[in-house]
Amino acid sequence: MRRKSRGLELYLQVMAQILKDMGITDYEPKVINQMLEFAFRYVTTILDDAKIYSSHAKKATVDADDVRLAIQCRSDQSFTSPPPRDFLLDIARQKNQTPLPLIKPYSGLRLPPDRYCLTAPNYRLKPLPKKGPAAAGRITVPRLSVGAVSSRPSTPTLGTPSAQSVAVSTKVGAPVSVPGQRFTVQIPPSQSAAAKPAVPAAPAVQNVLINPSLIGPKNILITTNVVSQNTPVESPNALKRKHEDDDDYDNL
Amino acid sequence: ILDLYEFCSISFPLKYFFFLFAVGVVAVEDQPDVSAVLSAYNQQGDPAMYEEYYSGLKHFIECSLDCHRAELSQLFYPLFVHMYLELVYNQHENEAKSFFEKFHGDQECYYQDDLRVLSSLTKKEHMKGNETMLDFRTSKFVLRISRDSYQLLKRHLQEKQNNQIWNIVQEHLYIDIFDGMPRSKQQIDAMVGSLAGEAKREANKAKVFFGLLKEPEIEVPLDDEDEEGENEEGKPKKKKPKKDSMGSKSKKQDPNAPPQNRIPLPELKDSDKLDKIMNMKETTKRVRLGPDCLPSICFYTFLNAYQGLTAVDVTDDSSLIAGGFADSTVRVWSVTPKKLRSVKTATDLSLIDKESDDVLERIMDEKTASELKILYGHSGPVYGASFSPDRNYLLSSSEDGTVRLWSLQTFTCLVGYKGHNYPVWDTQFSPYGYYFVSGGHDRVARLWATDHYQPLRIFAGHLADVNCTRFHPNSNYVATGSADRTVRLWDVLNGNCVRIFTGHKGPIHSLAFSPNGRFLATGATDGRVLLWDIGHGLMVGELKGHTDTVCSLKFSRDGEILASGSMDNTVRLWDAIKAFEDLETDDFTTATGHINLPENSQDLLLGTYMTKSTPVVHLHFTRRNLVLAAGAYSPQ
Repeated sequence: MRRKSRGLELYLQVMAQILKDMGITDYEPKVINQMLEFAFRYVTTILDDAKIYSSHAKKATVDADDVRLAIQCRSDQSFTSPPPRDFLLDIARQKNQTPLPLIKPYSGLRLPPDRYCLTAPNYRLKPLPKKGPAAAGRITVPRLSVGAVSSRPSTPTLGTPSAQSVAVSTKVGAPVSVPGQRFTVQIPPSQSAAAKPAVPAAPAVQNVLINPSLIGPKNILITTNVVSQNTPVESPNALKRKHEDDDDYDNL
Repeated sequence: ILDLYEFCSISFPLKYFFFLFAVGVVAVEDQPDVSAVLSAYNQQGDPAMYEEYYSGLKHFIECSLDCHRAELSQLFYPLFVHMYLELVYNQHENEAKSFFEKFHGDQECYYQDDLRVLSSLTKKEHMKGNETMLDFRTSKFVLRISRDSYQLLKRHLQEKQNNQIWNIVQEHLYIDIFDGMPRSKQQIDAMVGSLAGEAKREANKAKVFFGLLKEPEIEVPLDDEDEEGENEEGKPKKKKPKKDSMGSKSKKQDPNAPPQNRIPLPELKDSDKLDKIMNMKETTKRVRLGPDCLPSICFYTFLNAYQGLTAVDVTDDSSLIAGGFADSTVRVWSVTPKKLRSVKTATDLSLIDKESDDVLERIMDEKTASELKILYGHSGPVYGASFSPDRNYLLSSSEDGTVRLWSLQTFTCLVGYKGHNYPVWDTQFSPYGYYFVSGGHDRVARLWATDHYQPLRIFAGHLADVNCTRFHPNSNYVATGSADRTVRLWDVLNGNCVRIFTGHKGPIHSLAFSPNGRFLATGATDGRVLLWDIGHGLMVGELKGHTDTVCSLKFSRDGEILASGSMDNTVRLWDAIKAFEDLETDDFTTATGHINLPENSQDLLLGTYMTKSTPVVHLHFTRRNLVLAAGAYSPQ
């Protein structure tokens, strides 16, 4: 134990010296630990990679070439640097040649096409298989699958759907419906509030998510006092792209 | 205090430099052709002789006449760096080390940061993959020297034994010759310091439309609280709406103002017109500031941020504050007692009466009222924040390389603009909305429109990260301040760089345009605030006083006072009217760009206000000229 701690002290001193040599004088004490962690992680990653490369080349030991290759591959992957100046000047010249586009008047929210926005819902509800009319007594719980919806041809999610879904799905209330309670599906209100430019709405959108009247008979027991999910809500919310039918969804 | 991201780049591996080392690159309009690139890598002379060459030149310059010495001394630094890099690149490690040891102490004090970075660059591998190094080697450092000094230098270097150094000078330096008196050391020191040398005089010759756009005429209706009296016939009295007399004082077009349709701007909506009317009403109540009437400063301290506050913005009407944090959240607070509400859900919206007068109130959901809204979405610290002028949107730029547009009605993210693949240090909406600019680590600034997923303009030319981006009040120009210690002014219409301002000795962190559009104030890590005349392209003032990075600058609403906030925990107020009067703009100054700055910082300083260990991250003048300042309390 004591030997280990002495080794650690040495590393700490070396790191402090490196920081000093680079001219950095103003740092919190924890920074040295962070730097050491980074250094260790980097070195072990490189050496692991080098081991893999050398075993791939059927060598007995890891030699300098393997390490060099490992460093190069890692640096191309993680430590990339911005493009060179002449490349930037070139693309800038190309981009700056096109005149600025005119602005459409009377267009409400000016956003890129929906594919490039983050305004689509990123969850879908799985429909339950149709039960007989004797299901009156049972409460059926729709399954809510949150996460990257890969079957949707639309929004290229940024790969962190959970972050976005926080904003959206927190609004989705408890999906369990007790008879007498209303199940409301929260739709991104920006779509309802927006007066979008005339984009042909997808006809007859079979959308389990948004079409509450569809949800009603299939998934949830809703009592009759839930009436107001009616068509005026649907049309402004009709998403502007086709969605797969319910048939595509997995059957339970 | 550096954060982990910057640290990772400094040590392992050494070749990934964050404080970029781009020395000596200049805005050369033509592309370096292949032969130039290849020839730059050829060995110039014998490596062992480099020390001799340099010593010889040093001796010559030190023995020259006083009046020329200051100008010729400008050669030391670029030559030193170029020669050192030659040696390193051609793998003469020992010679490089001894060369560095011998001469690095001779350089000017303001180059010390660069030299420290340079000292760790000892092998060719360190340079490879570092794009700025490669750019540097193929571009030229600009020096401005008077004709007499240049003749002297040329005569000396063309002597036979100095041929090698002459080759090196020709290859790596661009000498911009001017006719006239050689400059004094003081004048030179004011203008040098950037990684590219100085700006060529031609770079600052293009015409810049710095005037403001004409305000549109808006009919101001009389106040609603006036009772509508009825005249005898029982009909309501006819009220004549007041014409807006503020905008269109003169029918003549200001020659310095851009044509109204030079760049397409969004038309005014009804809500914008209402905003303008509110603005005008507030303007009438505005306090006129001056040396004897200083504004009050209201400081918003972010507690418990633990140095995580990285960006702040305040709306124009001072109703909302947004903070960007290192934990990748953006938080929006309401400054006024009115709480933040989001729009109702679609089902509820269908229930309300759309024809009622207060429909804009009814669409808001009372159940969601709170003073604070947290916006999640970024995956890295948020370094820039900007509200749209109509208060509908908030932009935030982050280390994850994206700029996100948030709706302030639903408090959700609408769009993520991907283009920079590297940290985006700053973003700002245009004063008219619709356009926004962002600048980041990839050394370019990009102009976007909210309805295009790709940038409309790319402003490339800086040698190091773009730290700060600001729109001109007429939205036709964008100023960018960079870590290469230059400030550039770009034309939105065609992406050209119309002005290059050099003079700062450290990376620039704050920019502010004066409300009349004529002047630009810049603040950097050297603690100085420099004032620039945009039309002439000259430095017109230097405000010394801060002891640490100036990270926020703002002019008062009518341009009488400049407020600067710094990492030294103070806010300073400067007299802007006095700073900009009596400008020398005679022909010689305009032609050569040589200025004699008066040492009047003390006279211009109107007040210094200390905070309790809280760096001042953001400054804002309300419409009535009250100062709002924001910062995070960071106890030491």
